[in-house]
Parts: sequence; structure tokens; C-alpha cells
Amino acid sequence: MNAAVQKALATGAERHVVIRPTKGLFDLEMGNVWRYRELLHTLMMRDIQVLYKQAALGAAWAIIQPVFAVVVFTVVFGNFAKMPSDGIPYPIFAFAAVLPWTYFAEATRRASTGLVDDADLVRKVYFPRLIIPLAKVSAPLLDFAIAFCVLLIMMAFYGIMPSVKLLAIIPLIMVAGTLALAIGLWLGPINVRFRDVKHTVPFMLQIGMYASPIVYPLSQVPAEWKALYSLNPMVGVIEGFRWAVFERGSPDFVALGIGLLVVLALLLGGLVWFKNQERSFADVI
Amino acid sequence: MDKDIAISVRGLGKRYVRNAGRKHNSLRDMLGDKLATLATLGLKRKQKEYFWALTDASFEIRKGENVGIIGLNGAGKSTLLKVLSRIVTPTAGEAHINGRLGALLEVGTGFHQELTGRENTFLYGAILGMSRTEVEAKFDAIVDFAEIREFIDTPVKRYSSGMYVRLAFAVAAHLDPDILLLDEVLAVGDAAFQRKCMTFARSLEKKGSTILFVSHNMYSIKTMCQRVIYLKKGKVVFDGPTAEGLKLYEDDSRMKDAHWFWSDDDERPIRFTSGTIESSAGVDSGVIAHGDRLTIRLRYSTTRRIMAPDVRVSIDRQDDTHCLTFSSKQDGTDIPWIEGEGELVIQTPPLKLTSDFYVANVAVREKGVGKLLAAQIIAHFHVSDPDLGSLSYGVFNEPGAWRHTPVMPANDADAPPPMLAIAATR
Repeated sequence: MNAAVQKALATGAERHVVIRPTKGLFDLEMGNVWRYRELLHTLMMRDIQVLYKQAALGAAWAIIQPVFAVVVFTVVFGNFAKMPSDGIPYPIFAFAAVLPWTYFAEATRRASTGLVDDADLVRKVYFPRLIIPLAKVSAPLLDFAIAFCVLLIMMAFYGIMPSVKLLAIIPLIMVAGTLALAIGLWLGPINVRFRDVKHTVPFMLQIGMYASPIVYPLSQVPAEWKALYSLNPMVGVIEGFRWAVFERGSPDFVALGIGLLVVLALLLGGLVWFKNQERSFADVI
Repeated sequence: MDKDIAISVRGLGKRYVRNAGRKHNSLRDMLGDKLATLATLGLKRKQKEYFWALTDASFEIRKGENVGIIGLNGAGKSTLLKVLSRIVTPTAGEAHINGRLGALLEVGTGFHQELTGRENTFLYGAILGMSRTEVEAKFDAIVDFAEIREFIDTPVKRYSSGMYVRLAFAVAAHLDPDILLLDEVLAVGDAAFQRKCMTFARSLEKKGSTILFVSHNMYSIKTMCQRVIYLKKGKVVFDGPTAEGLKLYEDDSRMKDAHWFWSDDDERPIRFTSGTIESSAGVDSGVIAHGDRLTIRLRYSTTRRIMAPDVRVSIDRQDDTHCLTFSSKQDGTDIPWIEGEGELVIQTPPLKLTSDFYVANVAVREKGVGKLLAAQIIAHFHVSDPDLGSLSYGVFNEPGAWRHTPVMPANDADAPPPMLAIAATR
């Protein structure tokens, strides 16, 4: 046995485990999640590998979905409704927003139903359950990366020079992913008990899409509503994306700041809630 | 804690809410229920119904020990393994685990149908707690053990169930745990593979691994474990030598429901109240000779008239190989109906079963093909024969008539063996 295996064995092994009934309210066992990081990676790879198996068009779906959405938006909102788009050609204006939204929507949907989708694992194998929503929000990042290439092509078509600002989409998409994770932490355990969540999430995402500046610019939102509107963390993310892609002054720090606070609060609450529900998953799933 | 102890369990208990999760599977059901409670002003508030799947279990298992866990359905065997493998959280007590623990509660949990054998090997390895480098290092050994090298890049949904199980077990077998929890996994796969698994389990034993083994398969328990823990209604009722524990279990399991029979109705239209097996060794001796005729007597009691029942007595080997069935209908005995109490007697032809451990079950269907009304264990018995072991002779042995005719080479000086006829002597 080589050294690498020995090391792996040593890290994977838990020498002494004590099993007891109750855990503290704030014992999040983050060290345990870290110990199982290989499983996180494997489950994420599984979700990626499985997604487009036996689909004739394969990963092309990652492009088709957002592109079709943008075509529809351009025809309906850009041409018929003459929606203003801050002077930017409507197709790329919409695409810059549809890109993070598609990722967020997919990640949220999967994180919320993930525990039930992997019910046989939850019933039969021990691992920190937090691994599941984490893997679920990570897997759609690949789709995002593929669709991002379309954005680059569109930028070239419209003669928009990419600048250093474009790098800002990395932290921005992480905010979107964290938000999806936080929502998944809240809804996942509820879905274990009530499968209604599965039907509610697509519907909530539909509403969320119109509550975010995707088909219209943030400048169209009445000023007195803007603070309330910015409670939706995706507002800051989407506006940030547009800032990163187009020639604009500065990102909307207010919207982003409010959004970040909301994400953080949701995440911390979600972690505590999830950990407290975790112990009964195998009993009721 | 003593260094030689692998598992130490003190006062361990698990309480479930009856029908948890099933009662309200949608929000609407729950709201409806809450409204009903409100309507009665909360006076008739339903008490949550609890039941203890496991109560006050205490035992210690030393390193290198193989322990079988036996008990009827719902005795708490699987709950115990689930608590020890940390899938469910206990309600009371505590357990200490010393060493790397591998739990195999169901072979192939986590396999993904769309992925290839190779991809699933890594996935399943990770699920069982192996690192990627570890699986890589053992990959060839795993594939060889599973005997599926040419299919390793085929999606597992195209595998036969045998291949599927072999791959899953192969991965799990290479986990190299200090403590292995096994639940019924050996009850799958063909006989040859089962033997391989048993050999593997014994090699683990030689390496000093501790194995905790839940099974209905008394044969595997007997060959693998020196000690058994017998659970009854969530309590440890026996903890000691295998032979003694199995005897206790055998006495308790008489006329109980067969482990594959599931019925939710409490009221059964028919129950067998007693069953005996008589052979040349006497009544219920527990041992019969190869080729014995059996007389099986069954007393029944019904709560209603059962029309045209098909009563089936079957004999299964303890690795769940179904050996034979006597069916009243197939055997040409028409019973128009049964009602009240009565006795059925089956006289069997000489049974040429090979030497092994068997269970006789009785099952009843109404009108031959209707719902299964009862399925009960009649008794366990050994077939004893010094020569005819089931490993080399299969399920049945009937002697054949042999003839040996060597082709004689021309002008050969060496005397050829004479023509030989071996007659059946048995």
C-alpha cells in the first residue's frame, strides 16, 4: 500500500466515535463536513455526469435553455412592450441577467429537493447531510460556465470589450450559490416531511424572476420601493453582473450590501435549522 | 475504555413516532388535522404515539469478534445497526465505537443507474467513506473480485442483478474496516458468489476485523459467528454462544410469520396454530436423514370460510434458496373450503435434500391465486449426511447409473482398465 493510501486511510478513519442522543443547538459539525469533502466532490461529479446522460443534445441544453428564454424576452419585452434597457441592446441586456438567474433557479430547485432525491442514501448511509445541498448547488456551476461562453460570444457580436470588471462575476455567482444553499437549507428539511415543497419551489422561482431586474432594468423600479426591492439578494447579483459586463459607473453597493446581509442571515438560520432537523431525516424520509 | 473493546453499548434506545412522516405527507393533510383539533377546541388533542424499536440495549464487543444479531421481524435488529452506523440518532443511552467503521446495510445503495460500473465504483466508494486515491489503488482488485471487467464501462442499468450486487459487494469488501456492520447483504447473489463473500468475511476475521452481522440466514450466522445477540421486541434477551442462541430463536420462531410475509391487517382469516414434522428420527427432532419421508401435520383455525384454498408447504435452504413446494392444488387434493378448525397432513416422498440447514414454511392463498392469507414458519431442521454437503452437491442428490467404457488403443501392451459399471448403490 502506497503512502497516499495510508494517508487517505488515516484521514478517512475516525478512531473513536461516541454516539449519543442529543446535540447542542449550535453544534454545526463543520469539521465533519470537511472530513467528507471527497464525498461532496463525488456527489457533485455524479450530478454533473448524470444530468445529460442519454440526452441526444447533451450539454447543449445548458445553452439552449437560457438562449431560448432570452429570445422570448427579446421578442415580448424588447420588441412588443418596448421595455427600456438602459441603452444596451436588449438581447445581451437580458442575457446578462438570465445567466445568473438560471443558475440560481436550478441550484435552488435542486438544493430544496436534494434530500428526498437521495432518500436511499439518507436512509442507509451515514455522512453529514449538509453534503447533499452543498453538492446540489455546486453541480449547476458547470452549466453556468458553459452558458457564460455564450455571453462572451454575444459580447464579441455586440462589440463589447471585456474588461477586468468581468472577474467580479466570480464572487457574484458565489453569492447566488450561497443564497440557493441557504434556501435549500430551509426548504430541504421541510420537503422531507411535506413533499409540497417540490411543487412550491418552481412557482416561487417564477414569481422571484419577475421580482428581480431580469426583463427590466433596476432604474424602472420606483425609488421609494427600491430599499424593499433590494431585500431580494438577486437584485444586487444581477445588477452586479450588468455592471461587470457593460460600461457603467459603479455597481449598486446599496442593493448588494442589503442582499448580502439577507443571504448571511438566511444562511446562518438555515444551518441551525438544518442541523436540528437532520437527526430525524432517516426516521421520516 | 478498554483497548480491546471495539463496540461498547450502554442503555441504547431508539424511540420512533408511530407513523411518523406517513401521517401527514402533504401540508393539506396536516392543516386538515390541525383544523379538526381546533374544532374540538383542542379537547380531543391526539397524543403522539411512540414506540421503542430498541430499548436499553447494553453489550460489549471485543476486537476481532464476529457477532450475529438475530430476531424476528421488527425485533430491532436493523435499528441497532442504524444507530451504530450513525444513520439514526438514538433516543437514549450511548455507544462507543473504537476503530474505522464500515456499514453495509444494503448492497448498492447509492449506485446510480445512468453511471457506468467504473463511475459507480468511485461513487459508492466515496459513499462508504473511501477516498479517491484509496479506490484508485484498489480498483483492479475490486473489478477482479466482482468479475465484471468487460462490463466496467457499461452503465449499471444494463447490468444483471447478479452483476450489480457483485460490484457493490466488491467495493464494500475492499473498504478494509476495523469494524464491519452487515445487514442481510449475503442473502443476495448466486450461491457461488455467496461462498466468495463468506470466504471474504472469513479473511476479514483472520485480519482481526470485528463483524456485526444481522441476518435471517441461520446458516451464515452459524458459520460466521461464535456469539449471537438475540433481540426480541427491542430488547436483548440473549447474548452468548451461537448454538444456544439459535435454539432459543428456533423455539420462538415456530408458527411465527415467515420473514417475507407482510400483512397489515391484524385480523387474519386463517392461522396455523401448530405444526410438527415427523421423520425417521422422531417428531420435531430438528434433524432428518437424507432420503427421509416426512409427515407434516398442521392444525389451523379460521375466522371465516375460505373457498378453494391452495395450501403450500415449501422448504427453503437457509441461504434463501427455494428448494421445493408441495401445493395441495398442484398435488391434486381439492379442498372445496376450510372453516373453523382442522388438521392437514402431508406425507412427502423421500426427500433427497443435501446436508444443510432448512426451514419449512406454510402459506395459504384463497382460490389458488388470490391474496396471500398466511405465511408461517413451521420449523427449522438439519439434513444430516456425512458425505452429501450442499457446497459440492447442490440442492438435491439422486444417484445416477454410471458406465465407463475406455477406448482401447490397438496393440497396447499396458493392460487397460477393464470395462466398469458402477451401479447405484445408494
